[in-house]
Amino acid sequence: MALEPTCLALMALQLEQHANVQVLLDDQRPDGSWGAFGDDDESSGLTGLALLALNTLGVFPGPAARAARWLLDIKGREANWPWKWKFRTTDTHVRFDPDKFGWPWQPGTCSWVVPTSFALLALKQSFPCCREGKVAYRIQRSVEMLHDRACPKGGWNAGNGVVHGSPMAPHFDATAIALLALRSEPSNKLIDRSLVWLERQAHSCPSPWSLAWSILALDAYDKPIAPLQNHLETLSEPDETYDTATLAVTALALDCTTSGNPFEVVV
Amino acid sequence: MTRRAVLTGSTGIVTSNATSLPFLVPRYDHDRRPARSRVAILQATQYSEKLSAVLWDGLKLFNLDVTGKSVLLKPNLVDYTPDAEINTHPLLIAAASECFRRLGAGRVVVAEGPGHQRDTQLVLFATGLAQTLSEQQIPFVDLNRDEVAKVRLRADYSRLKHLWLPRTVLEADFIVSMPKVKTHHWSGVTLSMKNMFGVVPGVKYGWPKNLLHWQGIQQSIVDLIATVPIHFVIADAILCMEGNGPLAGTARRLDRIVLSDDPVAADATCTRLMGLLPERVPHIAETANFLGNLSPERIEPLITHPISPATPFQTVRDFEHLRARAGLAALALR
Repeated sequence: MALEPTCLALMALQLEQHANVQVLLDDQRPDGSWGAFGDDDESSGLTGLALLALNTLGVFPGPAARAARWLLDIKGREANWPWKWKFRTTDTHVRFDPDKFGWPWQPGTCSWVVPTSFALLALKQSFPCCREGKVAYRIQRSVEMLHDRACPKGGWNAGNGVVHGSPMAPHFDATAIALLALRSEPSNKLIDRSLVWLERQAHSCPSPWSLAWSILALDAYDKPIAPLQNHLETLSEPDETYDTATLAVTALALDCTTSGNPFEVVV
Repeated sequence: MTRRAVLTGSTGIVTSNATSLPFLVPRYDHDRRPARSRVAILQATQYSEKLSAVLWDGLKLFNLDVTGKSVLLKPNLVDYTPDAEINTHPLLIAAASECFRRLGAGRVVVAEGPGHQRDTQLVLFATGLAQTLSEQQIPFVDLNRDEVAKVRLRADYSRLKHLWLPRTVLEADFIVSMPKVKTHHWSGVTLSMKNMFGVVPGVKYGWPKNLLHWQGIQQSIVDLIATVPIHFVIADAILCMEGNGPLAGTARRLDRIVLSDDPVAADATCTRLMGLLPERVPHIAETANFLGNLSPERIEPLITHPISPATPFQTVRDFEHLRARAGLAALALR
C-alpha cells in the first residue's frame, strides 16, 4: 500500500462500498503516523493526508486522535534552536523565517508546503472549534509559515519563495493545497493574488493532477469551475491515466460540486 | 589530487552548509576505478533530428555491448519554467533511445523522478517530452512513484546506511545518466552524478528530496553513485545553465555533447568545459578516489572538440572558488 494514492482513492470512493478504510487503519503505526508505503519503517509527512482521509470516511476516534497527536509532536527541523540560529546567521541563502514552521516530508528535515498544508487542513478539520494550547499554536505557526514561504507574486512552490535572490515560480498543486489549507483564514492580499494566479493559469494547464487540484481549490473559494471540469475531462482518459493518485484526485475534482469537496474546512 | 586539496576546495561549502563536512576519512568498500576511462566530446550546435547521427557516430567509438539488455535512460527533469535551460532536451533523449535500440538493447526505458516538481506529467507535457516519447513509443517510468526496495549503501559518507530505491532502477542492466550541464547553488555543479538524485523516490523522501540535503548533498551523491552504478553518460552540453542553477540560472551555450563510460571522468570533463575546476567539487574529487578517473592522464579522449571558455561559468558566491583562471581548466582537455 502506498499512502498517498490509498488516501486519495479512499476519499474518491467515499460514497462507494469499495472504500475499505481497514487497509488504512491496518497500516497505522503505533505512534499514530503512517509510513509512505506498507513496508516503510519510518513515518511519513503525509500522515496529515491520512488523517484527512479518516475524517472524510467516518468517525474513527482512536486512530484519528493518535494521528493528531503525532502531528502535534512533529515539526520542521528549522524550528529547533540550533538550526534556527544557523538559518538566521550563517545559512541565509533561502529567504524564510525559521520561527514560522510546519511539517516536513519526513521527520528530521525542514517544513515544506505540501505536508504542512495537509497537516494544517487535517488539524482544522479535527478541531473545528475550541482550539487551545498546542493545537492553536501549531495551526497559527503553520498559517504563518505558509504566508512566509509564498512566492513573491503569489502562489507556492515546493517550500520557499526566494532562493539565492531568485524568486521561485508557483506550482499548481502546492498553490492549490496551500489555498485549501488557508480557506478558513481571513482574506488577504496573498490569498487573493494566489487565487488570481491559479484561476488564470488553470485554463491552460496540460496535466490532470495539477488541474484537478486547482479545481478543488477554486471550488472551495466559490470560483466558477465548470469550464475547468470540462477541460479536465478532455485531459483524462481513465485507461491512460498515469497513476492511482492522479485518477483519484481527478475523480474528486470532477465530483466536488455534487459529492462535496473533502478538502474544505467549514468557515 | 590530494585530500588537502579536497579540503581546500570544500571550504566554501563547509561555511555555507553545516552538514557538508569535508571528506576526512575514506568511507567506501573498495577501489573500483577503471585503469583508464574514455570520453568523447562531440560538437552539436542545435537540438534537431540530426542529433541521432551525431550521437550514433560517437557511441560507435565505445563498442558498447548492450545486446538484449534493459537500458535505462535517466535524463535530468527537475521542473518546467518557460525559456529556462533546466531539463535534458527531449530530442537528445529520443536520439539516445534510437541509438540504444540500434545497438540491440532488449528494452529501452526513460525513467526519472523530478526533484522539485511533484507533477511529473506536467514536466513531460510542458517540455514536449511526452509527445516525443509517444511518437517514438518509448516507455516512461516515474521513479518518484515506482515500487521500491530497501538497499544498503555501498559507501558511508552520508551516514544514511540505506535508501529505498525504485525497482526499475535496481533491475536495469545498463544505466545511462543524461544530465543537463548546469551549475548548482548547493552542489557547485549538477552533472551525471548529481543527476542520480532523481532515482531517489519522492514518495518516500519528498519534493525536494530533503533528507539528502540534511545528510550533506556532496556526501549523499557519493553514497548514491557508489550504490547505483552509472554505466554510461550522455551529457547535454549544447545549451547549459550558469549562475543560480539548477532552476534560476541563465542559459549558456557550449554546443557539445559529452559521452563517457565513467561518470567521474564525464563530470570532470564537463566541469572543465564549464571553465571550472573539478578537483574542487567535493563529490567529484572523492569519487575519483574509488569510483572513476578525474586525472586527464587516466582519461582517453576518443574525439575531442574542446573549447576554452574565455569566461568560466558564473556560479553563486559560495562556489566562486570553482572558477578557474582563464584557460586553466581547458588545458586539461587538450
